[in-house]
Amino acid sequence: MKEYQDRKLTVAPSPHIGSPVGTRAFMLDVLIALVPALAMGIFFFGPRALALTAVSVLGCEVFEGLYRLALKKPGSGGDLSAAVTGVLLAFACPVSMPYWIILIGDFFAIVVVKQLFGGLGKNFLNPALAGRVFLSLCYLPEMTLWIRPGTKFWLGLAQTGADGVSTATPMADLHNGVLPWMGTSGVRLHDMFYGNIGGCIGEVSALALLFGGAYLVLRGVIHLRIPAAYLGTVAVLAYATAPLTAASQWVLVQLLGGGLMLGALFMATDYVTTPCTPWGEVLFGIGCGILTVFLRVFGGVEGVSYAILLMNVCAPLLEKFTRPRRYGAPKGRRKKEEKGGGEK
Amino acid sequence: MSGSFFSLMSIALGAILVSNVVFSQLLGAGPFLKGSGSLRAALGTGLAVTLVMTLTSAACWPVNEYILVPNGLKFVEMAIFLLIAVFLVELLELLWRKLAPGRELPSTGGLPLAANCAVLGVVLQNVQNVSSFLQSLTYGVAGGLGFLLAILLFAGVRERLEFAECPKAFEGLPIALVTAGLLALCFTGFSNLNIFG
Amino acid sequence: MNIGKQIKGGLLTRNPVAVRLVGLCAAVAVTTTLLNGLGMGLCVTAVLILSNGILSALWFYLPQRLRTISAIMVTAALGGAADLLIQAFFPALAGELGLFLPLVPVTVILLGGAGTYAYENTVASSMLEGLCQGLGYTLVLTLAGFLRELLGKGSFGFGFLEGGQGIRLFPEQYAALGLNGPVGGFLALGCVAALVQYFNGRPKRTKKKEKEGAKG
Repeated sequence: MKEYQDRKLTVAPSPHIGSPVGTRAFMLDVLIALVPALAMGIFFFGPRALALTAVSVLGCEVFEGLYRLALKKPGSGGDLSAAVTGVLLAFACPVSMPYWIILIGDFFAIVVVKQLFGGLGKNFLNPALAGRVFLSLCYLPEMTLWIRPGTKFWLGLAQTGADGVSTATPMADLHNGVLPWMGTSGVRLHDMFYGNIGGCIGEVSALALLFGGAYLVLRGVIHLRIPAAYLGTVAVLAYATAPLTAASQWVLVQLLGGGLMLGALFMATDYVTTPCTPWGEVLFGIGCGILTVFLRVFGGVEGVSYAILLMNVCAPLLEKFTRPRRYGAPKGRRKKEEKGGGEK
Repeated sequence: MSGSFFSLMSIALGAILVSNVVFSQLLGAGPFLKGSGSLRAALGTGLAVTLVMTLTSAACWPVNEYILVPNGLKFVEMAIFLLIAVFLVELLELLWRKLAPGRELPSTGGLPLAANCAVLGVVLQNVQNVSSFLQSLTYGVAGGLGFLLAILLFAGVRERLEFAECPKAFEGLPIALVTAGLLALCFTGFSNLNIFG
Repeated sequence: MNIGKQIKGGLLTRNPVAVRLVGLCAAVAVTTTLLNGLGMGLCVTAVLILSNGILSALWFYLPQRLRTISAIMVTAALGGAADLLIQAFFPALAGELGLFLPLVPVTVILLGGAGTYAYENTVASSMLEGLCQGLGYTLVLTLAGFLRELLGKGSFGFGFLEGGQGIRLFPEQYAALGLNGPVGGFLALGCVAALVQYFNGRPKRTKKKEKEGAKG
């Protein structure tokens, strides 16, 4: 792509009519789709949600620019993919997160996970998720301080650990095997739907995320295969593992709780780190669902980020084994190819 | 019986996911990085390590329990285990040549397979911590399967990395190490796993 | 062989970890602090020098078929001795190295290629080669340990300086604890290996380098 853009004259096979749709347009659509969730985050957690997101976006763009400058590569800040990473990383952090921690997460996501492998399209993990998981490995107390919605934070550092500020999330109740409105968080189902719960900035409001996801589907930016397979698998498995008395409510709580909506709609649908074959996508979604429920039930953690990352790792294999057979190719082709590409 | 079966299953899943030989215990990073050039090579290396680990675990535990410990010979255990591993690998190579004449060995060869931190590390842990032959065998098999899982995933990712454009200094081993680090990061999700109560 | 070239080979062009890809698991695992990396590296160096010397002296008396086995036996014996010595004199270091202390002979066998160099060269040259390879190994481990300790603990010389606490470079609450675990091991070693490749000047693909290492 890049080589062609730099030349004045290009020799290329048809089609010759260019389309304005490029990475930048897609990423802009994703950013637009994330606006409702940001608005809900600001509504519930105060202006600091916006400030944290802005810092994160700025951090990602600056790290990306500096890295490419240092390696004398053409700048890629304009394609907005770093901005999307910044927003998603901020969305997956609690609002009380100190600014310097999120900058470390930005650095890890952009430099280590994405640019070290060559930038957009070359990374094998979703940068925002890897950044989040790295942060929760390094700064667990800050990453798990859940703020009661309605506690308005201004721009300053949060008073961490202050009484009456932190709250239990519905996920904590789910780990204990009780429905949230009977557990310590006391959250009701409609609160979970609107986002009036403790949690990360961008993950609380399922309603806003569904709006954003619908926008992306209508614009043709994402396909429904992965989110549908993911959410469907989670629903089925949640039903299977539910307490006997309230199975359907349990399923809804599992679907609305934690980072599932954000993950399924915005992170598991990343083009770069998911298989590009249709069946690969379906299997990817199912795998994410199985791992999410497995980790929620047995792992003692909110499994969405780990599930998507682990499936990112599996994505090349899924792609390889669901690749459609070339039309007219002899059936023995695969064996031959393997022989040719034998050891090392 | 079922109780012990579940406890063995629990040991096995724990050894594969939680304390994965490669990603958590950091044993066997050498064959993991060298033997993962392609998916096929990874499958060969993984299966070979699994086999050797199982057999060595099975052989070393009784040797330790009935020969080394009663006679106060613990201080030569490493030499003995190394010899057992080398002997077993030689035996397997002989068998391979007999059973599949003319076909290449599916791994990098004898010595690296025997003198291998993954195999001997698991054996050492077994004789230090494990109280029964069956458990020792389970750790051996599960450790090998954990290695197989890790190397297959890694090889899949590495085939993708052929298109990566990393800085010159990072080409080859360094980027592979960074990749392995990121895989280990993904596996931290299993660190609190608790399956059978 | 030119001594300067041999030293440069051990440290850079034929560096055991970054170029020859041996002894990786200990290098990833024990480099949690500068001191652990240094201790492991020096231990391996000592065993490697001695085993190379002994094997080189013995080669004349050993029939071809027994050479690999005797290399393993000699190294295992020396490694066992090193294990006991460290347990006796540096119990804290032995505790930190854990499982990887008894695994030192495995590392040494791979580093010395089970005596391939020692069987073909004089005693002095073999011991020098052991020293160079060992120092190259120590260099990588120490650097990786330094990096991990700096970022993961925020200190320098933990377990050694300032009464065992190390010199604090920044408050511990800012330290990235995740780097003390496996993730940090792989990442730090990757960075150090990149550094070695950078200094090697003409970074080619690893496979070619392995061949070069075998020839030289």
